[in-house]
Amino acid sequence: MNLKKVLSKESIVARLKAETKPAVIEELVDAIAWTGKIKNRDAALQAVLNREDKMSTGMQNGIAIPHGKTDAVEELLIAIAIKPDGVDFDAMDGQPCKIFIMTLSPENHVGPHIQFLAEISKVLGNETLREKLIQATTAEEILKILTA
Amino acid sequence: MIETNNAVLHASHQVAEAATHAAAESSHSITHMMMYLVIQLAIIIIVAKIGGYLAQRFLKMPSVLGELLSGMVIGPYALGGKISLPVIGVLFTETHGFAASAELYGIATLASIILLFLAGLETDLAAFLRYSVVGSVVGLGGLLSAFIIGDLIAVLWPNDIHSFMDPAALFLGVISVATSVGITARILAEKRKMASAEGVTILAGAVFDDVFGIVALAIVMGMAKVSLSGGEVNWGEIGIIAAKAVGFFVVVTALGLIFARKITSAIKQFKSKEMIVAICFGLAMLLAGLAEMAGLAMIIGAYIMGLALSRTDLAHEIESNMQGIYNILVPIFFCVMGMMVDFSAMGAVWKFGLVYSVLAIGSKVLGCGLPAWAMRFNSRGALRIGLGMLPRGEVALIVAGIGLAAGIIDQGIFGVAIMMTVITTLLAPPLLVKSFEGGSGLRKEMAGGSEDTESIELSFPSRDITEFLLNRFIRALRAEEFYVHNLHHGKPTYQVRKDDIMFVLIEEGGTLRINTPTDHQNLVRLMLTEELLSLSDLLDATQKMEDLQGMGNDLLAGMFS
Repeated sequence: MNLKKVLSKESIVARLKAETKPAVIEELVDAIAWTGKIKNRDAALQAVLNREDKMSTGMQNGIAIPHGKTDAVEELLIAIAIKPDGVDFDAMDGQPCKIFIMTLSPENHVGPHIQFLAEISKVLGNETLREKLIQATTAEEILKILTA
Repeated sequence: MIETNNAVLHASHQVAEAATHAAAESSHSITHMMMYLVIQLAIIIIVAKIGGYLAQRFLKMPSVLGELLSGMVIGPYALGGKISLPVIGVLFTETHGFAASAELYGIATLASIILLFLAGLETDLAAFLRYSVVGSVVGLGGLLSAFIIGDLIAVLWPNDIHSFMDPAALFLGVISVATSVGITARILAEKRKMASAEGVTILAGAVFDDVFGIVALAIVMGMAKVSLSGGEVNWGEIGIIAAKAVGFFVVVTALGLIFARKITSAIKQFKSKEMIVAICFGLAMLLAGLAEMAGLAMIIGAYIMGLALSRTDLAHEIESNMQGIYNILVPIFFCVMGMMVDFSAMGAVWKFGLVYSVLAIGSKVLGCGLPAWAMRFNSRGALRIGLGMLPRGEVALIVAGIGLAAGIIDQGIFGVAIMMTVITTLLAPPLLVKSFEGGSGLRKEMAGGSEDTESIELSFPSRDITEFLLNRFIRALRAEEFYVHNLHHGKPTYQVRKDDIMFVLIEEGGTLRINTPTDHQNLVRLMLTEELLSLSDLLDATQKMEDLQGMGNDLLAGMFS
């Protein structure tokens, strides 16, 4: 999958303000909502929160991949955010999460949605790249690192 | 005047009477012909299906082998020619020197169109293009060596074939080209080697083999037609025929791929699955007919239509809806092919058949193995690839059938083709299993990375839960635009492919196992987690269900009152 085709700097937040898990999710949903591509912002938020309730998407090495399926969107929408200080996201390794990748995908649409998460998780397997991402201060810089 | 009128009346009465009589006679003969056909078909279907089942169940061989052997047993040259039934007479008999009647052969031809249409539909063009370098080198190596050796042996053997360009020699070349990768795929899946470097190379090579085998058939058909009509085939003409065949293939496939989505979205206006599937199959038959009109073979058109539709979202729908007709008609094709083996004609050619079969094995093992060895594999890996490309099957039989029907090859050569198909199909599984013993097939400097595979296993307390999760997982994979292909055998095994991603799902009792290249394990793990969560949703919902005992009581109440 070509990340260049699916990522855009519009929904990248270089410095996340939120301090708690629900606030992070809300800020990420809003980072997509402002582009006008979400039909129902609250329904989208609820979908992600519901998924998170079942099992946390806080992974290892400071990465979280909150995601949800909702009819409030018509295509795969992605938000990326960085919080250098980290937020407690109930991660598998108990460490705070610093890199957040959120996807919203339509409920019954065919498309490479999980495949995107798998692809980006592969990229984030590289420790140097993770460090670079956390140090990055602008959306352009983050996009460049991820698509290099 | 009155006399004249009477004469006219009398004459017209006679004409009417004759017409009525003729109609009654012809209707009787058509009814009789159809009754004969239906009884033949009934016997073929039942015997072929049982033969296929026995081959699968007891010999652990593909069902095609059993279907083919049942045909040999019930054909006009064996039991079928000796059994006589009341009213219809001899059960299977030669018609104009051909083992099947025109009607029966017509149904077998329809089955071959279905077979190749579905083969085209199942082709993963993207994966083929992705592995095109190593796959095409291996595929091309096997294709050239199998073709040249297959053709040359016909020329060198003491018989009446003396030229490399003799249509019969060309056919013997083409027959030994097409690999039937289904058998290999099953073994790779069982040995958990589908995602190995050898496995991926074999599968990509086999796609190449299929596509270019069909193109080679188109060229040979063109050359044979010129030759049969008394013309001399010179190199200039071969160039023209090849350009025409390749041109037809490339242009029609390109047009198909470009317009497939437009065509399917137009067909989708009918909003009925049955209509969509039927129209797509109609288009496949139309293209098959056009291919024949263009001087190529019908199966080429059917394959191209399948290939064009394989990239659309209807591919799976068509495939699953055609499965029923496939299961019934395709065994008829293989059985009829078996029926055509004339054992008395084989007497003179069995030695040739044996040599042809041995060389068909050697040509693929060396033709595919050497390029593989030259590229990145060690001798062990090269042998595995060569053996993986060994089995020939349905395409070889179809090509042989076309050659026999067109009068290009005789009964003896046809029998040789069947013999080679049976021998390669029987030999490939044990040899391939043996070859996969031992270490990596990659050269030391190339090893690592591409061959690393991960086996993810999930165990559940019951088979029902495993099946539920497997079905959910398959549905999720299709929603992610993966091609999920059932490898059709005893234990449920699926091959999952999309672009360069390929992994295998196996369900064994209460265990679901996924063999995936390490590179793609994240995808598998993420998707499985999502589906596991849906399982927990279901369990929660079940617990919230009202009193099950009460529901059961309501259902059964009054049953015995």
